Amino acid sequence: MTLDSMVTGRTNGGRQVFTAITALSLIIIYVPALYLLLVSLNPGEQLRLVVPIHYSLTWYVALFDDHRLFRALKESLFIGLATAVMATPIGLSAALAYRSMTRMRSIFLLVILSAVFVPGTIEGLGLSVMLRLVRVSPSWVTLTIGHLVWTLPFSVTVSLIGLSTVKPSTIEAARDLGASPLRAFVDVTLPLMRGSLISSFVFAFLLSLNEHARAYYLVGRQNTLPLHMFGAMNSGVSPTIYAFSGAVIVLSFAAVALILLGAAPQVRAIRRSAV
Amino acid sequence: MPHDKVAGRRRRMDFFLALPSLVVFVCMGFIPLALIATWSFWSFDPDTYWIKPVWSLASYAALLENGRATVLLRTAGLAALTATASTLLAVPAATVVGLLSGPRRATLLVALFTIPFFTSGLVRAFAWRLVLGREGIINNVLIRLGIAHTPVEWLLFSDFAVVLGMVAAYLPFAIIPMVLVFARIEHSVIWASQDLGAGFWMMFSSIVLPLIMPGIIAGFLFVFVVAVATSMEIQLLGGAGASSISIMINDVMRVVNFPLAFAIATVVVIFLIVLVIIANRMLKLSRLFEDLGA
Repeated sequence: MTLDSMVTGRTNGGRQVFTAITALSLIIIYVPALYLLLVSLNPGEQLRLVVPIHYSLTWYVALFDDHRLFRALKESLFIGLATAVMATPIGLSAALAYRSMTRMRSIFLLVILSAVFVPGTIEGLGLSVMLRLVRVSPSWVTLTIGHLVWTLPFSVTVSLIGLSTVKPSTIEAARDLGASPLRAFVDVTLPLMRGSLISSFVFAFLLSLNEHARAYYLVGRQNTLPLHMFGAMNSGVSPTIYAFSGAVIVLSFAAVALILLGAAPQVRAIRRSAV
Repeated sequence: MPHDKVAGRRRRMDFFLALPSLVVFVCMGFIPLALIATWSFWSFDPDTYWIKPVWSLASYAALLENGRATVLLRTAGLAALTATASTLLAVPAATVVGLLSGPRRATLLVALFTIPFFTSGLVRAFAWRLVLGREGIINNVLIRLGIAHTPVEWLLFSDFAVVLGMVAAYLPFAIIPMVLVFARIEHSVIWASQDLGAGFWMMFSSIVLPLIMPGIIAGFLFVFVVAVATSMEIQLLGGAGASSISIMINDVMRVVNFPLAFAIATVVVIFLIVLVIIANRMLKLSRLFEDLGA
């Protein structure tokens, strides 16, 4: 039985009002991005909708001549990958520790989660002056460190969710059958967590790719994508920036949607186990 | 005793598993903040263009000059407004997810509210420029319907645009903790209220609202904390001269007034820490996440 089946009888307009507000929330979240996407298909210079038969990829094609953009993209992809490669195993390891810890559990979790709430500007500023103190000059390494601090809490959380779907009895069964703890981990836990490890990797990658405030302080000579785009958005806006924004929207929405679709069975499992 | 030995080995294992993340958070997260806090009491050194260990409270006095206190308060005000609006939208939305939807729709809605978090905030803030601008879709519709004769100017480059952009960006932060709380509600409570003939609004106000209150307050706080820290919505959507804490820190750093930048950062971080500690005491917020590791 699910909670919603407990609500019997009429809701006296409650269901309608609440559903309308939910729809409004989704409109506020999604409509601007969709609108930008449609406007970016306008081949003219003016920023308004055109009828669909006039849609054109003119500005998207023009993107390929923007070499500075591509250098920034390359830098961001590289830093995103480096961040995700580190955040995923460290996040998994922290989740495993949290799961078997008995003492200091909530303090450990609080330390991890509190990192999300430190303002990016301040964390970036602090890291940059600390690295300056130990004479490390800014480069992709410094920014990757900054992004690791930023993405790790999410990797830990996703790993914890994945771990909670692995039943302890499954692991105990493997152990009873003679598997060593390591063997049970590699052959049972890891395969069962494959989905959440992929999510953890992709989320860390995307969070790094879109991060702006820390990058401002930690970036080396080569700008990252958000810094480059922020510059382009605040200077005389050329329609290519709309095309590029459109491309970013399509690609990142597609990536997360794919991951979430893959993770849907797990989300349901959590809802069930939480109930 | 073998039991002790097993427990000891297990504890050592936990330590090594926790170590990498602790190193990251302590060395790369905590120490930089501690450095900033310490150095905010040092003085600027004009010879090296850096700081020197001459202890002083000058930076904290400078916090109150040149309208800096106003920027701090304005940032907090806009963040509070954003958090309030987000909470007002999030309570019904979370109720739809947690109470009024079957498992399939609930999963879909949670996904829809989560997706934007992992997409470019910069692009989504920028998109509001098109929607709210003079030639944007809202002004177009208003003029075509005859509600306005000339484009409405205050839609863009205003506090209105900033708050709208922030609500759109951070609303999911308010919804997710409430959804987590809904998952902990005892079914029998809802069932009993329905059985006793309580109407929907009666049940909602006297049973559901008190039960999800920790989630509501957590959601409000999450949005507030994130909105205090952000700068891009103000830089892309705010009016001329609009500032925020983060923008002010960047500006102060650009004119190499390091101790002042550190002092602003310290005040903000301490304020946020106190806020989170109070909320945690009051509501046991960390319990919201404990289900994850169960």
